Amino acid sequence: MSDLRKAGLFHAPMLALVLVGVFFAGDALAQRQDKVLKGDAQCTRCHDETEEYPVLAIAKTKHGTLADGRTPTCTSCHGVSDLHVNRPPDAKERPKPDRSFSKTSKTPIAERNQACLACHQGGNRIHWQMSMHAGRDVACTSCHDVHTQHDKVRDKDYQAEACFACHKEVRAQVNRPSRHPIREGKVVCADCHNPHGTAGEKMLLRDSVNDTCYTCHMEKRGPFVRTHAPVQENCAICHNPHGTANDNLLKVRAPWLCQQCHEPTSHRGNLAGFEPGTGNTNRTRGITQARSCLNCHTNIHGTNNVFNDSGERSFRR
Amino acid sequence: MRPHGIPLTALAAGLLGAFPPAFAQEDEDLRMLTTPQSTVEAGVGYVDNDNLRFGMFNGLHEQGAYGLLGVDINRRDDATGTWLRFQGRNLGLESRDLRFEHERQGSWGYFIDFSQIPRISPYVVNTTLGGIDTTVQREGAVPARDVRLETRRDRIGLGGSMQFGSGFDGGVKVRNERKEGTRLWGQASGRFMVEPIDWETNQVDASVGFTGERLQLVAAYYGAAFQNANSFVDKLNAAGTPQAVTPVALPPDNQSHQLSFTGGYSFTPSTRATFKVAHGQIKQEERFSAGIAGALPGIPENLGGRIDTTLLQAGISSRPLPKLGLRADLRYEDRDDKTPVYVYTAPGATSTHDGRNEPRSFENVNGKAEASYLLPAGFTVTGGLEQENRKRNTSAVRSVSFRDETEETSYKLDLRRSLSDTINGAVTLVRSERTGSDWYVNTRNDGSVGSNLIHPLHLADRDRDKVRLTLDWVPTEPLSITLVAEGANDEYSGRTLGPREGKAEFYSIDLAYTFSEKWQAVAWTSRSDTRAEQSSCLGAAATPPAIPVPTNIGLTCPTTGGNGVWEARLRNVGEAVGLGLKGKPTGVLELGAEISYTKDRGEFQQVAITPGIITPAIPDAVYTSTRLKIDARYALTKRSGARLQYIYDRFEVDDWYWTGWVYADSGTPATTVRQDPVQQVHFIGATYYYQF
Repeated sequence: MSDLRKAGLFHAPMLALVLVGVFFAGDALAQRQDKVLKGDAQCTRCHDETEEYPVLAIAKTKHGTLADGRTPTCTSCHGVSDLHVNRPPDAKERPKPDRSFSKTSKTPIAERNQACLACHQGGNRIHWQMSMHAGRDVACTSCHDVHTQHDKVRDKDYQAEACFACHKEVRAQVNRPSRHPIREGKVVCADCHNPHGTAGEKMLLRDSVNDTCYTCHMEKRGPFVRTHAPVQENCAICHNPHGTANDNLLKVRAPWLCQQCHEPTSHRGNLAGFEPGTGNTNRTRGITQARSCLNCHTNIHGTNNVFNDSGERSFRR
Repeated sequence: MRPHGIPLTALAAGLLGAFPPAFAQEDEDLRMLTTPQSTVEAGVGYVDNDNLRFGMFNGLHEQGAYGLLGVDINRRDDATGTWLRFQGRNLGLESRDLRFEHERQGSWGYFIDFSQIPRISPYVVNTTLGGIDTTVQREGAVPARDVRLETRRDRIGLGGSMQFGSGFDGGVKVRNERKEGTRLWGQASGRFMVEPIDWETNQVDASVGFTGERLQLVAAYYGAAFQNANSFVDKLNAAGTPQAVTPVALPPDNQSHQLSFTGGYSFTPSTRATFKVAHGQIKQEERFSAGIAGALPGIPENLGGRIDTTLLQAGISSRPLPKLGLRADLRYEDRDDKTPVYVYTAPGATSTHDGRNEPRSFENVNGKAEASYLLPAGFTVTGGLEQENRKRNTSAVRSVSFRDETEETSYKLDLRRSLSDTINGAVTLVRSERTGSDWYVNTRNDGSVGSNLIHPLHLADRDRDKVRLTLDWVPTEPLSITLVAEGANDEYSGRTLGPREGKAEFYSIDLAYTFSEKWQAVAWTSRSDTRAEQSSCLGAAATPPAIPVPTNIGLTCPTTGGNGVWEARLRNVGEAVGLGLKGKPTGVLELGAEISYTKDRGEFQQVAITPGIITPAIPDAVYTSTRLKIDARYALTKRSGARLQYIYDRFEVDDWYWTGWVYADSGTPATTVRQDPVQQVHFIGATYYYQF
């Protein structure tokens, strides 16, 4: 609009010319045509790409694919909105549509989400109402941009940014020295989590933490001849998948990590230090540096070695 | 929203009468605004320095020029609703992604994709070890040289979907991944070894679903198989003799299968129930042949590993009153390890194991209920209760303290405000109490009492208090502020030693300011502080006599003379700050800039509880990272333009992890590992893009 103004279209002679044009174009206006969605003429006579939140680009999306008979109309999501379309003469401001989705919308969030769920309740969204996101007033449009071709949360390069709008602690963790390639868009939040809700814990993609980790780290699944109990129970006992300052995403670095569970008999209660020695003697480098306990206990996730030796039992071979 | 003056459409119609060619232009504009857009981008980038951190996953780890190529083709036949998509990202780099998709929306579709994920180790190894990517590795086999360890995943995916009509649909996805390379490993007695990786995994995900107005169902099969081309690594010393703890096993082939049935039913618009039933089986039957030479007689040909898994879940959510919301969920998981038990090693009389393999079974029941009530002024109060009971099995002879049941009860209280124009937020309090069954008495193979001192982290009694505060504040129209503050406190108990206390704090502030339609800025900072205290016992023998320790500590340590109790006080402090700016200074120029700084400091304090213990000082480990990104796009025409990118990445490390460490190799010189304390990289890229 401002460009038109700059072009001088509102100078009186020009305006007169336009009005003449409007007169001759009267028939065209009387038979307004849909631009994007079925029955959108009533909406697009006012709303177009000059909006703060452009609407026409919905035509570039699946919602705007008219050949698919399931696609919505404007009113499918926003309601019939009679008062919005026909502003009452005594109204100081034009009333909002029946359902609006902006950040400052007064439409209850459950009602906003219901507009989406009316079509999208199946598949991965079956559990939505049971999810933490639903329980904490997260709107579908908090994450998704419906009127644009590029819905950022569905783009690997931008998805994490959308999640970090709320999950600030994870934003800090993914920048730690030991991390998944989230910054590079090679692993994204949705590779592990289904933000629309699941039957398992933490909205994880599979039914448990371990089952989710195994989708990429299947070699840890076993079962093995020698199994390490916490490994089989929950990877997150030792690892923080979002990032840590310790190699291999370990929450705490060895030997202290191992000392959280292991009885202090023999060398297991020894102190870390920098005295010479690559073995397990108290205060030596062998307890402390490099892979620490894992220098010797190589196969800490389990081993299938059947060599008749105690080293097999303690994951050393 | 644009003020409702003369609508553009009416204006355009007017212009049609007055200026027909101008209307034609609008028609073209409308077409551009409503037709799926495609983009092709090509150019060149340059990295000025070899590096292992900046390029760890993106393929930009070596100095030199790289091709920058990306495509995003989106074509749609409007008459039939048929999409053709072709997307390629980082095509000139080792981290490339490709995806081709063909779909008739609402009817059928299929895709094929390809992805590579490189992973460069941040360390450089100097070693004489030969055959590092093979299953026979020999110390001193080659002159010492620098070796960079790395892996790469190559994934191919295929899939298709079909709408059968009447709400029924189906789909199948298949993914094959090859992972190859080398990874830092270790061998007993401080020797260097490398894990050769030559793996293949296959996954199949197939489902049939029904989506109705009230009822939704999905029946699915998920299968996953892992294959390792190698079974063992033989490690030889410089003389060519097998070393003491060799061969070392590599992960065995395994597979899993799961059938699941998931559904949801909406009784009313405000009452819905969901469920999932799943049954799965995990198998591991790789032949022991490679290591059978040193095995006990009588063991089977393979482990015969089999685990059956069951999941039952049911939930209901309802809003019986306009202001009252209720949710409840019950989940039962069973992991029944049916692997047959054999004696695989011959234990000594006082061994802390009996030589048998140890199948691990778990059973978990989790129930939670939550009620929300809408208060005036947009506030909602929520109260919740969660109960989790876990059962585990163990072997008769153990070396780690054990209890077979833990129970955790959590109480939640949440006060939340939403739908306000200026201030929204929430305060959440959670109190969790975990306890469990009696501790088992650890015994040795001969029945004598073993060590029974530690309460393991995941089994200990634990009282946990958490508080979380979030605040979204819009003090003025162009400024928004987001605050997050979290605190958690853990108190552990149960046995004598082990984790004692944990604390975590996190704070973040985000600011967003809109200067004008053309310029926006964001700034953020965060700080996390995590602490853990745990006690252990120095070189303890398993039996009395005990050395008394100060009674106010409440610890006893059944130890031999001269040893005693000590405590580790571990801490990690993370700080981050960032600033971002986006703008369109002219109609053809877009700018974006972001600078961030992060610092992580680890503290590892060891403190003597029993007087006289020498507790070495461990220096802090400090990692800092500074990154500046500038991105500029200049439109040359309506459809094309140029893009310039600049990245400055500086990574600094001050860590004792490898400093002064020399492996106990028989090769000369022995293996060492290092990382550059300062890694500094400049990347510049220039590309041309075309949109259509």
